[in-house]
Amino acid sequence: MRTILVVDDERYVARVLSVALERAGYAVESANNGEEAVYKLVDLEPDAVLTDIMMPRMNGRELVAVVRNHFPQRQVPIVVMTSSLELEHRDWVKNYSNLHFIEKPVSPRRIIHILDEYFSGIETEKPGHESLQTV
Amino acid sequence: MKSIFSNADTLKNQNLGLAMIAASLLVILFITAYLFNYQRNMQLSQIRSQGVGLVRLLGSMPMGQLAPVDGRQGPLQLIRQTHAHPNFAYAVLVDTRGNPLLQVAKPGIIVPVAALPQEPSAWLGERVLNSQDGATLMEFHGPVIEQGDLAAYLRVGYVRPAYGPAPAQLPFFATLALAVFLLTPMFYFLVRREIKPLTQVNRHMQAMLESGQIGEPELHPSGELKDFMQRFSHFIDAAQQRIQSLEAHQTDVDMSRKVISYQKSRIESALQSLPDAVIVMDESGITTYANAKLHSLLGIDLEQVVGARPDQWCSDAGVLAYLTSCHNNSARTYRADAVEFAPDGAPEKRVSVSAYPLFSPRQTSLVLGTLFVFRDVSDESAAKRARSEFVAHVAHELKTPLNVLHMYSETLQDDAGATRELTIEAANVIHDEVGRLSSLISNLLSMTKIEMGTMSLERKRVKLHELVRDVFDNITRSADGMDLRFDLQIPPEISAVSLDKDLIRIAFNNLLTNAIKYNRPGGRVIVSAEENDEEILVKVRDTGLGIEAGDQARIFDKFYRSENEQVRERTGHGLGLSLAREIVHLHYGELEVSSQAGQGSEFTVRFRKDMGVLKQAI
Repeated sequence: MRTILVVDDERYVARVLSVALERAGYAVESANNGEEAVYKLVDLEPDAVLTDIMMPRMNGRELVAVVRNHFPQRQVPIVVMTSSLELEHRDWVKNYSNLHFIEKPVSPRRIIHILDEYFSGIETEKPGHESLQTV
Repeated sequence: MKSIFSNADTLKNQNLGLAMIAASLLVILFITAYLFNYQRNMQLSQIRSQGVGLVRLLGSMPMGQLAPVDGRQGPLQLIRQTHAHPNFAYAVLVDTRGNPLLQVAKPGIIVPVAALPQEPSAWLGERVLNSQDGATLMEFHGPVIEQGDLAAYLRVGYVRPAYGPAPAQLPFFATLALAVFLLTPMFYFLVRREIKPLTQVNRHMQAMLESGQIGEPELHPSGELKDFMQRFSHFIDAAQQRIQSLEAHQTDVDMSRKVISYQKSRIESALQSLPDAVIVMDESGITTYANAKLHSLLGIDLEQVVGARPDQWCSDAGVLAYLTSCHNNSARTYRADAVEFAPDGAPEKRVSVSAYPLFSPRQTSLVLGTLFVFRDVSDESAAKRARSEFVAHVAHELKTPLNVLHMYSETLQDDAGATRELTIEAANVIHDEVGRLSSLISNLLSMTKIEMGTMSLERKRVKLHELVRDVFDNITRSADGMDLRFDLQIPPEISAVSLDKDLIRIAFNNLLTNAIKYNRPGGRVIVSAEENDEEILVKVRDTGLGIEAGDQARIFDKFYRSENEQVRERTGHGLGLSLAREIVHLHYGELEVSSQAGQGSEFTVRFRKDMGVLKQAI
């Protein structure tokens, strides 16, 4: 079973995403903010990370940087949830591979679809689905 | 008769008088000299012709006649007796050896001895001799020829006419002298009299020049001068009139100048007191005017700017481009927008510069220059920034509950079937979030209204005791399931206050909500009120998380939420306290906090009695 790490400071958001992902057959770990997520990453090896941007202590952007810098070989796929106000910050996203932006309000259905597609692409080695960005 | 000589002229006139006398004397001298000369010449020629004639005549007479032996009077005696010429001196007949044969002479005259010329060609001649007594004599000598031989000589002498007046002529000369002597000064005086008006005019004009004023000279001329004086008078009149009109005109001009100068100063002072800085550039791009605000707004010295081109004092490239682009275009291509920049040395300020073409008053299509207005828009800029930040915050705050609602509702929609627990959970969460959303929205609305000033307090006489109890009851009802103890300590005799009931309710609501939210299980919430001479206080105390010292100053800021994890665990949007404070301030009250992290917080609302909070009992 694949594990997804859900990072969001809104309790309810983390909760509903966890429920939805679990129902879709994933195992879910959650963290309240970026810092907590990093600690969890050290112990855990999630197959994907789903994170918010605006969080205390360490926001989503910083988290992405840390994940890529500290675990370069893992190239964990990251889905970043953002409100459209942060469109102007999207240019930093281009610096990273295997990153996907999804706009709030977030649809759990869509997230599950993205993840499913990605993982099935890897398994079957379908061309064009190696990167999360193309999904 | 008034003397026509003034003191200043006297010396001059004395000299002139002397000169006149000298001149007339000279004239007399000249005339008399000429007359004397003329006379003498006349006499000389007379004598000469007579003498020579006589000599010739007598020389042709025979000797016997000339020198009668019988005692008869010869021609010589006759000549002496009858010869009328006054200068006749002597007539002598001499023989060839020079001895006198016969001699007649005027009494007193001594015939001078002189040899006679031997040469026949010189026999007839004239010579000048000096007598012993010093008189000069003219002698005419000639031969007496008898039968072809020289018989004797004749010598006829005359006194040479002297140069000078004959006594008989003296009266004549005296009269002449007198006439001339008198005539010249008379002539002079006559002329002077004629030109006396001119002298007066001259003196008058001199006085005019010295004093600078114009006046009529008092003169009574006659003849030629009269015309001249009349015309001169007219001229003076005309000149006076002209001067008067010029002076009047000059006064007008001075007046106008003063008025214009005053108006100009007024306009200038208006320009100087404008809150904005203005510069005027002419069509060649040189600054012709700048007001004093330029220095205080942009920190640029006026001397640097006036008379210079913008590139000499403007350091900002964008502004420089704006300034240069506007001045060398016709009105049509003026940039309608303004340029914003931060002035040198004041990076926190924002200044906006806009251009206005200055049209010629005569030709409205002709642009004479540009007016640039520099306005401090730092406040506007800051307000704009604050507004967009506020909007961003609000949007974010709204998005969060919406996100949750969306996700939960989607989960419920799934066919895979929501479990009963999930359904209940979803329902609760949706309910809570909707509640949160509505409270946020209503808080925002209140906040905006208060800030816009469109909210007017509807003060009513309110029994504080009842109001607080009402709020308290509502809140505690909804917090039923929580593990908290609530206390209300309001003395019922507390004075009634004049408040806007709805707003104060919101404020207390927010305080109480916080007291509950940031509490811990088993904690307490105490609401109390007290009154003293000056104030009425309402306190809300909790035994919850407390507020860290660093946060205490900022908790009243809009959207501020502490970074503290425990705080963040609780959902909130950071508006409750700021709204509560705004409401209390509207009532001229104060909202204060006293707290210790980990222990709890106490919020105190103070209403000063003298600020109209107490309404006089009806």
